[in-house]
Amino acid sequence: MFTDKIEAKDFDKMDPEYKELLGHVLTIQADCEIGGPHLYVEKMLPAAPTKLDQLIVARTAAEEIDHFRKIARVAGDIGVDVSFVLSQPNEKRFVDAFRGLITTWEDNAVFGFLIDRVGRYQLEEFYDCTYLPLQRILPAIVTEELGHIEYGFNKTVELIESGDEGEARAQRAVDFWYVRALDMFGRTGSKRSERYRYWGLKRRTNEQARQDYMNEVNPILEKIGITIPDPLKGRRYL
Amino acid sequence: MPQAAPNTEKLDDHLKAVVQALHGAVKQGLPHVKEPEVVEKAIADCKEILDEIMAGKVEEWLN
Repeated sequence: MFTDKIEAKDFDKMDPEYKELLGHVLTIQADCEIGGPHLYVEKMLPAAPTKLDQLIVARTAAEEIDHFRKIARVAGDIGVDVSFVLSQPNEKRFVDAFRGLITTWEDNAVFGFLIDRVGRYQLEEFYDCTYLPLQRILPAIVTEELGHIEYGFNKTVELIESGDEGEARAQRAVDFWYVRALDMFGRTGSKRSERYRYWGLKRRTNEQARQDYMNEVNPILEKIGITIPDPLKGRRYL
Repeated sequence: MPQAAPNTEKLDDHLKAVVQALHGAVKQGLPHVKEPEVVEKAIADCKEILDEIMAGKVEEWLN
């Protein structure tokens, strides 16, 4: 296991595999950060239920763009240009959950509640990682992601409490996003994931992180009266 | 030090300014959500900024 702490100035001396993995994970992270606004800004900025919600949609997008900026800077400083993801069509996003378009308020709420939570898990993988410039930008990003998760959760609960139709809409949205959230952790037994762990760029295996996520989110779903979807139905990456 | 990717600093500066402008527009609207004229203007400003970012024309931004 590699445990040294690396600064940008040391990057050129690193093993090619380390360089490749770091560049790859930064590119995917950048794509996910900007992929969120590309999913919901177009339809949700004009269609959010209140003026306050419209402004919060804009503020959330501003924060995600800033997360992209910070990741792009860390990547750019080691010669990895991630700017192409700014104009990447949604269907070409690296992660399935970011392909498509959010067109309903319930999807927007549950996206924040479930998918931004996976985002938090992905960022937590870099805690205490071997690449210090990445580690340094995490606290501020994670704090903002926590705000997005809380907002998504509150809006989901609001919807459920609005009556029978709201509850059914929330359940449908959870059914859609839950399996996508589980897929975001990647395949069980992934060899690439092992190499990330070897180089100290991730902490958990895909399956450990996925299980931790389910242990956290399932009790929350039960508490708010949502039936936990079948964790295997419709999954693409087992 | 490794060689930075082209335009790393320029893109960083541009996006910093964009994020600042967006937060500024949101802050203009937040205390006035019950005043249609003010809040509509703030939302329109947010939309204009976001439309530009969503279009992703990086070359245009930086040159």
